[in-house]
Parts: sequence; C-alpha cells; structure tokens
Amino acid sequence: MPRPQQRTISFTIDGREVQAPENTMLVDAAKHGDVEIPVFCYEPKLGQPVGACRMCLVEIEGIPKLQTGCSTAVKDGMVVHTETERVKTAQRAVVEFLLVNHPLDCPVCDKGGECPLQDITFGWGPGISRFIEPKRHFVKPLALSPRIAIDRERCILCYRCVRFSQDVAEDDQLVLAERGAETFVSTFDGHPYDAPFSGNIIELCPVGALTSRPYRFAARPWDIEDAGSVCTLCPAQCNVHLTVRDERVLRVQVRDNADVDDGWLCDRGRFAYPALNGRPRITRPLLRDGGQLREVSWERALSEAAAALGRAGEQTGAIAGGPVTNEEGLLLSRLLREGLSSPHVDSRAAGTLPLDLHRALGDPALQATVSDLEFAHAALVVACDPITDATILDLRLRKGVRRHGLTIVQATAEELRVRGEELAAQLSGAGEEVVVLWHERLTAGPEGIASAQALLAMAQRLGLAGIDGAGLLEVPSAANGRGLREAGVLPNAGPGLSEAPPPAGPSREGRGADAIAAGLAEGELSAVILMEADPFLRRSRREAWERALGRATTVIAYAANLNDDLHAYADVIFPAQAYAEKEGTLVHPDGRIQRLRPAVAQPGQTRAQWLSLVQLASALGLDLGVRSALEASEQLFDVVAFYAGLTLEEIGGKGVRWQERDAAGAYPIEQPA
Amino acid sequence: MSQQLLLKDIDEPGLSTLAVYERRGGYSALRKALKMSPADVLAQLEASALRGRGGAGFQMGKKVSFLPRGPIEKYLVCNADESEPGTFKDRELLQKTPHMLIEGIIIAAHAGEIERSFIYIRGEYEWQADILATAIAEARAAGYLGENILGSGHSLSLVLHRGAGAYICGEETGLLDSLEGKRGNPRLKPPFPANQGLYQGPTLINNVETLATVPAIMAMGGEQYAKLGVETSTGTKLVSVSGHVQRPGNYEIELGIPSREIIYELAGGPPPGHAVKCWFPGGSSAPVLTAADLDVPYDFESMAKAGSMLGSGAIIVVDDSTPILDVAMKVARFYRHESCGKCTPCREGTNWTVKMLQRIDSGEATPMDLDIMASVQEHIIGNCLCVLGDAMAMPIGSIIAKFREELEAHMEAARERGGAGEHAASQLALAAQGARDA
Repeated sequence: MPRPQQRTISFTIDGREVQAPENTMLVDAAKHGDVEIPVFCYEPKLGQPVGACRMCLVEIEGIPKLQTGCSTAVKDGMVVHTETERVKTAQRAVVEFLLVNHPLDCPVCDKGGECPLQDITFGWGPGISRFIEPKRHFVKPLALSPRIAIDRERCILCYRCVRFSQDVAEDDQLVLAERGAETFVSTFDGHPYDAPFSGNIIELCPVGALTSRPYRFAARPWDIEDAGSVCTLCPAQCNVHLTVRDERVLRVQVRDNADVDDGWLCDRGRFAYPALNGRPRITRPLLRDGGQLREVSWERALSEAAAALGRAGEQTGAIAGGPVTNEEGLLLSRLLREGLSSPHVDSRAAGTLPLDLHRALGDPALQATVSDLEFAHAALVVACDPITDATILDLRLRKGVRRHGLTIVQATAEELRVRGEELAAQLSGAGEEVVVLWHERLTAGPEGIASAQALLAMAQRLGLAGIDGAGLLEVPSAANGRGLREAGVLPNAGPGLSEAPPPAGPSREGRGADAIAAGLAEGELSAVILMEADPFLRRSRREAWERALGRATTVIAYAANLNDDLHAYADVIFPAQAYAEKEGTLVHPDGRIQRLRPAVAQPGQTRAQWLSLVQLASALGLDLGVRSALEASEQLFDVVAFYAGLTLEEIGGKGVRWQERDAAGAYPIEQPA
Repeated sequence: MSQQLLLKDIDEPGLSTLAVYERRGGYSALRKALKMSPADVLAQLEASALRGRGGAGFQMGKKVSFLPRGPIEKYLVCNADESEPGTFKDRELLQKTPHMLIEGIIIAAHAGEIERSFIYIRGEYEWQADILATAIAEARAAGYLGENILGSGHSLSLVLHRGAGAYICGEETGLLDSLEGKRGNPRLKPPFPANQGLYQGPTLINNVETLATVPAIMAMGGEQYAKLGVETSTGTKLVSVSGHVQRPGNYEIELGIPSREIIYELAGGPPPGHAVKCWFPGGSSAPVLTAADLDVPYDFESMAKAGSMLGSGAIIVVDDSTPILDVAMKVARFYRHESCGKCTPCREGTNWTVKMLQRIDSGEATPMDLDIMASVQEHIIGNCLCVLGDAMAMPIGSIIAKFREELEAHMEAARERGGAGEHAASQLALAAQGARDA
C-alpha cells in the first residue's frame, strides 16, 4: 500500500512564515515554527482527533469562529494566530473550566512535576480561579486494576484512556459512564481493567487520574533520572525509558520508536521491573561445595570453572539464552571454539537448520520491517501468535487492519507446506505487498527443514524479494535470537553466517542444543555453559535436559536470578547482569541493531558478562582481545562482514537496520544479477 | 388564517392511515416526483428556498446538493428526536400525519439518489413510534417503499430507530453516533455529514417538519412555495406556543408575520391581568426577548437581527407572575443535565452556572457573581464542540443582560430573608476585624 507522500507548504503563524508538511494538524505544524499550541485530548497515536478538551483553540483568518488546532489541517497560505487576545481569552477560559472540578492536591499527586495540566495551567491559564462552589467528589483512589489506580476527581475527561482501550488495543473495556459533569471513566460493568496493554493509559493520562499502583508515592519527578534502553523480555525489543532513583529501576515507560514499538509497551515490559531489583538476584558467584551452593569469591569461582572447562576441553557445550547480547554471544562462542576447541555452541531452541537455509531466510532482499506490517496489503501469520511471541506486534497488526485495510491470513506450518498455492492465491488477491510473519518454531521438529523450504517457496511465489514493503519477518524464540545467530552462536556457522570456523570441519560437526543435551546424557560431552539460558523452559525437553545435566560433570551458568533447576544442577553460577545494567548491542527481528545502555549499577559483585568471559578465557590461556564493552562491540562489527564500519554512535538511540547500510552487500548469499 | 400546508387536514379522522391520506391526495406528489429526474426534483427543492425547520435554518435544497452524486452508498436520516424544551410540532405531525413525512422522505431520497433511510425518533415518543411503524408497514405494502418504487426503478429502505432519551442525540452528529450503536456524543465538524456521516457515508439529515413540507413543495412547485413568507424565510412554519398563553398549541403561520399576532391573536396572550415579561422565540436555547420585541416579524432574519433566533419555532411565553431567576434556573438545569460531557466548556460551564444560580437563590451571592456568570457564558459561546453549550449560554447571557436589576433584587431579598445573609455578614465583620488587626 503506498505510504502517504507529504508535500511541504508554507503558512503564517503569529506573523512568521513557516514551512510544514501539508495536511498535518495545526498543533503539529506550529511546532515547525517553534510555536506551542497547548493540548490535552490530542494524541495522534490514538487515531483521529476528537476535539474534546478545546484547549487548542486558535484563530484562522477567514474563519469567523475559533478553530481547534488539533483537528484543522494546515493548508498553503493559511494565516494562523495563537497569541491574540481572543485566543488567550479562550485558552484561559478552558483552563479555568478544567480546574473547576480538579482538586488542588498536586503536593500529594504522583503526576505533580510531570503533569501537562500543571504545565498548561502555568503557561496558558488565568492565574486565578473565580470558582468558589463545592467541587465534584468521588471515592478515591479506586483500583481500576491490580496495576492501575484511578482518581476520578482528578480526571479532566480528555477521552485518551477510553480511546486507547476502544481504538488502539481494541479491548473495548473502558467507557465513559454517566454524562455531563457527572461523567466518569470506568470499565463497562465495573470489572478490573485486565488487558495486555493496559499500562499505556497511565502514560496517556495528562493528569494524575490514572497512576501506576506499583509506582504510587515511590518517587517525585525531581528525584529521578530517565535512562533510555531496550526491553529484552521478548523479541519485540521495545524501546523503553527506565525511571531510576537511587540505582533502582522504579518504572518503565515507552520511548517512542515508530519503527519498533510505535510508542506502546505491553504490561509485561512495563510492570516486570521489580525482578531487576533486590533480593531474588544472584549478586555473588556461587560454587557447589560439598553438595551445597555457596557464595565464593570471583577468583575462586573463575579458577574452579577454568579448571573444570580445561578438563572437559572439546567435550564442552554452550548455550546462549534470550537476553544475551551480540557481544556476549560472540565472546562465548570464541571461548568455546578457540579456548576449548569445541564447536558445540548454539542459541536456537528449535534444532539445527542447514546454513544455506539460515542464509536464505535472512537474505536482506527478503526482509520486511515492522512498519511494513502496517502498510502491507496482506500479512500471512505462520506458526506465530503475536500476542505471546512478540506482544507489541499485536497492536501493529490491529493498526494495519484498522487504518490501512490490512488483510490477515493465519496458517500453521503444516498448512504452509500443504496449501501453499491456495494461501498464495488468497494473499495475492489482497494485493502484492505481503509480509510473512513467522515464528522460529516453524523450523523446529522433523518437518522443520521442509517448512523452511515451503516458506522460501512462498516468498518466491509471491515475488517478495522484488517488492518494496513486502518480505519475511521472523520472530525468533529468544529475545536476541537474530543477533546471536548473526554473531555466530550457531553450531554450523561463524560470525556473519560464515562457514563454521575451526574446530568444526567436514569431519567434525558442531552440536545444536538438542545434540548437546544428548551428548551430555550419553557421556560424549562432560561440561556445559548455560549463559542466561534455561533449557527447562520448553517442557517437551525437560526430561532430556534432566538426564543431560544429571550426567554432566560440570554445569556452569550465568544467571541473574536463582531457580530450582540451577539450584539442583549448577556447579558454578556467575551472577549475570539484567538488561537495565548491560552495555552492548541487540538485533531486532527485522535487522535493526539496537543499543543496550546501563541505566543502573549492577548489584553486589556482579560483573559484566564480557569481562568474566575474558577472565575465564584468560585463565584458559586465551586472550580474547577485549578490555572494555566498547572494544567488544568493535570486535563484533569487525567480524560480522555485513556490520562492517558500524559504530555505536551510528546506532544511536533509535537503532539502525543493517540491511539499509552499504555493508549489507557483504551478506553471504548469491544475489541474482 | 394564513395558508395551511402541513396542518390542512390535520384533524381529519384517520389521517394517519394510508387510505385516508391517499383520499386526501396523499402520495400524488411522490408520483409526480418519480416521473422527474433526481436533478429536476432537486431543482424544485432549491427553488423553494426551504430552510431547515430543526433549528439551524440551513437551506434544505443546498444540503441535498452537497451530497456526492451517483449511486454510491449514502443515507437519509430523519431527525425525529424532538427534544428542545417548548417544541412539540413534530410530535403532532408524527402522530397525525405520518404518511406526509414518509412521502417527503421518499421524494428527498429520490432527489439525493439515496437508497437507505432512517428515522431516529426520541425514546419518549413511544405512541408516535407505534403509529409511524404502522404507517411505514402500510407504505411498504403499497409499494411506496422497498425495491423499484411504483415501477420507477428507484428503491428505498426505511428503518425506524428509537432513541433512549438524550437531548444530545438530537444534535445531528450525536444522532449519527447513537444510530450507529455508540454512545451519543457529537462529532467534530468537519467532516460534515454530507461528506462523511452515518457509517462514514454521505448523509442527508433533516428535521421531521422539513421533510414533511417536501410533498407540498412538489405539489405546488418550488417557485410557488417560495412566494409564501418573506424573501429569506420562505413558506409556512409550524410554531409551538407554550407557557403563559391562553391557547397553547401548534399553529401554522406564514413566515414574516408579527410575533404579536402569534402570541396574542393565535395563542390568546397571557391570562387576563398579566403581561408578557419575556419570551423565547425559538425554543429554550434562544436568547430571551421582552415585551418590547413583540412586533418583530417572525422569520429567521428578523429574529437574528433582534438578537435571538427562530430556532425550532417554539415560542415560550413567560408572564410577570414568574421570577426571572426561576426561568434561568430551569433552563440552566436542563442543559446541565443534558450536556454529554465531551467538551470542557459545556460540561463545566453548565455545571458552574447552575451552582451560581443556586447561590443567588440561597442568598449567598453578590452582584459580582452576576459579572462572573455573564463572563462564564461568554467563555462557553463559540468555544464548544457542538451548540449545546451555546444553547444554555445564550439564554442565560441574555437573561443576565436584560434582567440584571431583578436578579440583584432577588439576591438582596434572599440575603435579607435567609440565615445565610447573617452568615455572610458575620464573615464580613470577621474579615474587617482581621484587616484592622493586621
């Protein structure tokens, strides 16, 4: 579907001529001239403006009545005034009206200090109130849900939360009950607001009516620092702001990135932060001693681990889990390959796929972006449930359907293999721009290879390689699954999906995750490193891994939190950083390289994983050549051919898709001339 | 008695049935219209210069002409949510001559090349809805509605939908939301319904009386109709007269006659011994006029010039037995109750105004409060999403301007009468003491 092309026009605002994209709403166009028009209800992420709050009234020459700047599209030659006495009178009037029923409890309100109503009252309000009647009263605060508190006295009825529920998340739970001055926000029948994206309404609220129950009274805006990072709880890798006070993460908020999350966050990403703080964390190395895990010094843990790995040598396997960064993955695989002469390293849960299939599926010419999902004619969703696999994509698909008429076709792996032609015909019927959203599990199991081939056949049939805005978009099982693969954390590939480096060779194949488990169980391997990986997560593999770890001589784990399985099987546990503490890079499912930046200090004696890997390698006599997180990133950009020349500055806060850089030409696949 | 187009046969027994309506010449205008092209029917409507009878007074023919032409999905909606206080003209038409409305709808739909129509009737008009439903069924059975009407090739479906009791659903976009099954809140304009109305399709929305006038226009010809009334307000108009008059009821008048004639000659004026104190010329949302304005001609232009509006054509007469504060309170309370709450000035302004009026009555107000109240009304007017806020602010503003002395006297009397006055006095004394001590 063609994306909107915008012409630039010029208009006059407050006596100055300003250039702005045609048809943008006046409140946005005004920003091009450094003019701020105050708003409460306007939020373009919510869809069409509603013009309810009346805060943005402006004067337009040739139109007798004041107009709402949020709903009036700018036209060439328009003459707009925002500072005339008439406009100011209207602005002061609206602020006065809004404050008629708003309590003066700013000193005890969580929003105080970061409140649009405070800011606009200060900037555009009358300064005094003439209202001396009793204000409206409600019981307050009430639990709108276990996570959200609602204070109906503070509500200015801007409609944002209700529009989010009805028009964005489409959960249709929030409504406005009663009418006139008695109106209040509620769920339809008073049940708790229980929905996967409910927390977004806290951030949308322009006053302190909707507050986060975990964050209530935890900090004031002047006590906190804001740190940008990326959530690694699922492959969607939403961009986040972490609210930090005294080295603790107290809140997670969205950091708008239209190419990743579209400015939304799921409740898991928003409310799971307590796990980053406090007691359940492992903060010192643990060593099994006399059958018990005991806290030991780093020196002891490193030397014990190095000794055990030295004994196991090439009979060692390693598995990298979801939140492992590209750099950590690269160093782990080098430790195995160069330090221990073992090719047995993997990051995939789904079983091993031939290298040529990996390369074909990752072909830059075939890669769709997240925003392609929104503008495509059709999306084929294969073996994937967005709401659980990459939660935020659910909203993107809904937006595509709602705003651009996206057709969604769902299929299982088997349907893809058997009914490919039928599906292709159905998709072509909707239009030529098709995005195939598929999950890594498609390539799992005995039919995995056949399914991957069917996927490529589908891409071929639909001609996706040649169409802008069309392509494949894989949701990996692990949060950084794509990055780890590209960094070479695969048994049959090196960095940049190159041929597997030594010690792998024609006579010696690396083992994938399942084969590592089998090798341990059969005594062919004796040690394993589980880097932020929990092989027990997949229930069907549980028995195999219980046998494997039960038989293994040495189990070394990197983990931020202790669980029963580690407690039962691990011999050495190194404390791992949580994502809020990490420095490094990730790769988003669509190839966008993103930066993780440390927001808080790591707790206790936790060490950066890159550092402990370097120290472990050093104890084994291998110099990994890395002395800082930056050097680790530089090494990654050097060894992955299609990342060549990349710098952290280039990645910046919004990330960069490697497919859109010149170095993408170095991707190891034959391109048709 | 001036020319009667709408009420001509209104008291004919059984007029609500198809048989009687047809015997009285009903549906002959439709037969005539169906022989004409849509463009020719539209030309007749435009020539009549008929202005909408719902309140805004926009020319109906123009509204039809704004619709995109051609056979696309578009809608005609008849606004029968008659809720403006003092207005009961549509009720009489719906109840006594429903086929006139149906005929008008079919002709208007033909002019606009529309194939789907709706009547949105206010929830309280239960009896009228039953009558209308029967009439629609009769018209359908007789081939006036449905596929290929009278063999003309034109088709029209007509759905009757009952509201659930909200004044705001008489506002055209609120009505559309309600008709779509949503909460009845007004929408932003533009887009106007003619471009994007019901289900996002182009929509023609007209009042009952407007549509019921269409058969008469077709029968006599648009130009002939335009000769009735005055230049900018053509034709006849139903006027609902209520309040302190001796013969309240609906009267059909030719636009442009002196208002005094309606209030005194037709409706009999106030009861003996009483004089007109003020009157609302076009429903409770019109600024009030006084006895001095009784000779203003009753038409759109003259009413606007006199500082009020013709609105829905509902004259409410208030005589000198009623305190003006009671009138203001009645009006303000109504609009506070009916404000949908979507936009700030209306939601908060109507609520604030009622609270201030209550203080005048309880003796806790000062003349300064009248200035604040007047300024609040100014802050509402023109700043709202729809006209409901203005509908309170205009009459209240005019009452403060025209009856300030009486309101001040009222608050003074209330202060002297009530304990609140003593309370206020003691507060003043305390404040004075405080100032001396400081």
